[in-house]
Amino acid sequence: MRLSVAAAISHGRVYRRLGLSPRSRLDLLRNLVTALVRYERIETPWARADEMRGYAERLIDYAKRGDKDERAMRMADFWLTEKDLVHKLFKVLAPRFQPHAGSYTRLLQIPNRDGLDRAKMAVIELKGNPLPPLVRPRRDSDRTLLNQLLKGYRQDAQRARGT
Amino acid sequence: VLVLVCSPLPRLRALLQRCWGRLERGLWPGIFGGQSPPWGPALAVQGPALVPQGISDAGAPSLPESVVWMAAPKQRRTIEVNRCRRRNPSKLIEIKRNIDVCPECGNLKQKHVLCGYCYAKVKEETRLIRMEIYKKEGGPFNAPAVETVVLYEGEKPTEKDEGKRIIERARKRPSWFVQN
Repeated sequence: MRLSVAAAISHGRVYRRLGLSPRSRLDLLRNLVTALVRYERIETPWARADEMRGYAERLIDYAKRGDKDERAMRMADFWLTEKDLVHKLFKVLAPRFQPHAGSYTRLLQIPNRDGLDRAKMAVIELKGNPLPPLVRPRRDSDRTLLNQLLKGYRQDAQRARGT
Repeated sequence: VLVLVCSPLPRLRALLQRCWGRLERGLWPGIFGGQSPPWGPALAVQGPALVPQGISDAGAPSLPESVVWMAAPKQRRTIEVNRCRRRNPSKLIEIKRNIDVCPECGNLKQKHVLCGYCYAKVKEETRLIRMEIYKKEGGPFNAPAVETVVLYEGEKPTEKDEGKRIIERARKRPSWFVQN
């Protein structure tokens, strides 16, 4: 009967190990969250972006409670190292995301980094930012068979309605 | 109750005498291969009494006694065996089947990754917009508490851009940046 956990088994662990220590991991993620709130789109290694996404979305959920809430203000004070961003969070981001229920960020993978490490990179951005869009939503071309059939059906229905 | 304890010594002595007799005559199949032990003249020195036969026949050994025997290949591996090992499918590089053509620019891209060319375009434009923002803010830590909107040459702010900070870019609007 195994009474101790063997090394190198991590079944069910959700948090990645980043940086030099758990405190360093939190500082790293805090810097990334501050940068995201400031610039609204950042490019970082995929693991860090994925880790940071949950914290950023929970911070926005706290901000939606309003700045009179004591816990929300303490959270914002800890997570945003630059204090002018606390104003931006409560006055700009909270109203922007009020109609949304969750998923305020978009995480997309990028070609690997050019340096020696060829790291897997990602770009994470807040939805509704003023910057140019990364992905243009593509509609199917009009020349596909299904679209031609639907066009014909629409024309027939119009003709039938007209006469 | 009287317990009878007999001394084990006579039994033990008889056993040892029998074993020694068998050993002298070479009737013990386990030791010395069924022959009698080598009784040649020997120096009366401290040491192991029963000397294994190999060392007395070989003479002075060329290597010191504390040598460690290492594994080494016995035969040269033939080129056929080598080819089987080197070309085994587990050692070959996997072929990628998730490469497609970007519909915007025509460069190659992986299906789950953004197109490198299109992303570089967007990154450059974002950099120029951020330079304009920095010039407008004047210094670090001056993030405003209002939304931002980017307008290109010849564009006027609409009624949706009422309370927003306007960032001007001195060029024509690119086709891939659709105004909302």
